[in-house]
Amino acid sequence: MKNPVEIKNLYKSYPRRGLHLLSKPEDKTVLHNVTMQVAEREIVGLVGESGCGKTTLAKVLLGLESYQAGSVKVNGLELKDLSKAGFKKLRRQVQVVFQDPYSSLDPRQTVRQILCEPWDIHNMHLDPAEREKLLCALLRSVGLDPLYLDRWPHEFSGGQRQRIAIARALALEPQLLVADEPVSALDVSVQAQILNLLKDISRTRALSMLFISHDFAVARFLCDRIAVMYRGQILESAPTEQLLLNPQHPYTEALLSAVPMPDPHMQKVRQPIPLKYQPKRTQSPCPYAPRCQYYQAAQCGRSAAETEISAGHFCACVRLPFQKEKSSYAIQ
Amino acid sequence: MNNRIFKRILQNKASLAGFVLVALFALVALLAPVLAPVHNPHDPYQLPQSSYSMTPQPPSAEHIFGTTEQQYDLYYGVVWGTRLAFKIGITVTFFAFLIGLFLGAAAAYFGGMIDELIMRFTDVVFAVPSLVLAMVIAAMLGPDTHNMMIALTAVAWPSYARLVRGDILSVKQRDFVTASRALGARGPRLLLKHILPNSIYPSVVVASLDIGYIVLTAASLSFLGLGAQPGTADWGQLIAMARNWVLGSSTNTFAYWYTVVVPGGVIFLFVLGWNLLGDGFRDILDPRQG
Repeated sequence: MKNPVEIKNLYKSYPRRGLHLLSKPEDKTVLHNVTMQVAEREIVGLVGESGCGKTTLAKVLLGLESYQAGSVKVNGLELKDLSKAGFKKLRRQVQVVFQDPYSSLDPRQTVRQILCEPWDIHNMHLDPAEREKLLCALLRSVGLDPLYLDRWPHEFSGGQRQRIAIARALALEPQLLVADEPVSALDVSVQAQILNLLKDISRTRALSMLFISHDFAVARFLCDRIAVMYRGQILESAPTEQLLLNPQHPYTEALLSAVPMPDPHMQKVRQPIPLKYQPKRTQSPCPYAPRCQYYQAAQCGRSAAETEISAGHFCACVRLPFQKEKSSYAIQ
Repeated sequence: MNNRIFKRILQNKASLAGFVLVALFALVALLAPVLAPVHNPHDPYQLPQSSYSMTPQPPSAEHIFGTTEQQYDLYYGVVWGTRLAFKIGITVTFFAFLIGLFLGAAAAYFGGMIDELIMRFTDVVFAVPSLVLAMVIAAMLGPDTHNMMIALTAVAWPSYARLVRGDILSVKQRDFVTASRALGARGPRLLLKHILPNSIYPSVVVASLDIGYIVLTAASLSFLGLGAQPGTADWGQLIAMARNWVLGSSTNTFAYWYTVVVPGGVIFLFVLGWNLLGDGFRDILDPRQG
């Protein structure tokens, strides 16, 4: 069976004009040799610090940004080769939920107009009675009352708005949902509700999901697999529990060390690994070398290919096999 | 929707006052032929003249606002001047808005070289003080009401172009536009359904504030002799004819007060009305204030 998402050796760069008007434009690489898959009904978490290219990857996957090299296949179709009509068809398979529910809903449209837009664009469900029925079902499926149909976005709370945004994404009944930090703008109590909703929906609708986050706790709750990204490269990816209990890449370990523990005694013992930037090490092909706590000039001079160290656990580091024993920063 | 806007206008005292003022002026403009019967059917904006005597006459039963020098009737001037003011204000603002909207949208939509060209051109227009530029254009075209309107349009559009461009550029980046693109919407739909409705309202507010300002500038041009010609029922003309009568004799300084106060007061109230109404619009057109 084909994977809904198949990304191979993806490169993307943005042209960047120098400070001087006449200087040659330089390309800034934002995605570097990214390879990843999302299997059917699988929720893959993409974790990394801000600016590392998570959202850019989502935009490429949505077809909103082009890419320079590599291949991005959605349901076996290469995005680069799609015609305009084919691209429009793809919209019905891939949908998106954004981070900020305050900017993702048009303030001048009612909930009804917002939810009808996908059908208007694709000329679907034109019969008014049928539409009404589907609208009500759609709102109920995200836990909202159909009475809200004729309200304006500003009348809703952040959590409710995010539910409306999810409903809009589901209107076309996609197979793949790209969720770009859908809960990081919400209160913790509301985060839990939205996460539960996403989990339910992915089960009942047999959705695959690319879930972008910077919060390991959130990703752990929802995701089957987690990929850790740094500076446009995926450094480690593994089944969720495997990654959290047995982190292999120094960056993953450093990230986990920064996750606060709910137990104050344990929190006291855990010192976050300092991530000091050492500009001297930028010669190394490893993007993480300048901040790596295990850097050794002799070893880190060659590039590390992504290697499978155990079933489904990929890691790109030259020091592999890194450690057999459990890392002290593993999250229980 | 319209009902809602109307209700909101009535709730706010300031915008209510503005609405009443503008409505009164609109009524006067509409009923001009009834309030002040036309005496010259070929040109209703021609002021009736009862004699050629230079000294203005105070309000009387026959001329309820008095007369200016050369005995033009101030009442007729005020009534038909209202109609002319609406004609100038609305026409100029409408065309300036349209030109600004078109150029601003083109600059924001195409970007790059077209954007640079359009925006640098608006900068050039902005660089010259608008009244001075309007004077130059009006003088080049020749003094006439229509030429004055062209001159005013030519200096009024850049502010709309700049406003529309900036708003479109910021709205274009918002997530709901990206979401709509992800749903499969393309150029025209995005522009008409999402981008323009969210970027046009600041310009509508500016337009409603501008109508008063345009009329004020038109009055300045007429006062300088670059707009309406002597004998036209135009507020600027009425003030121009009061130029020599601002101060009366040494014993009675304000002997001819009506020649200044009547047209000046009318202009003041007209501009005030549009300003209050424009402020009201600004609050009402914001959907967040339900």
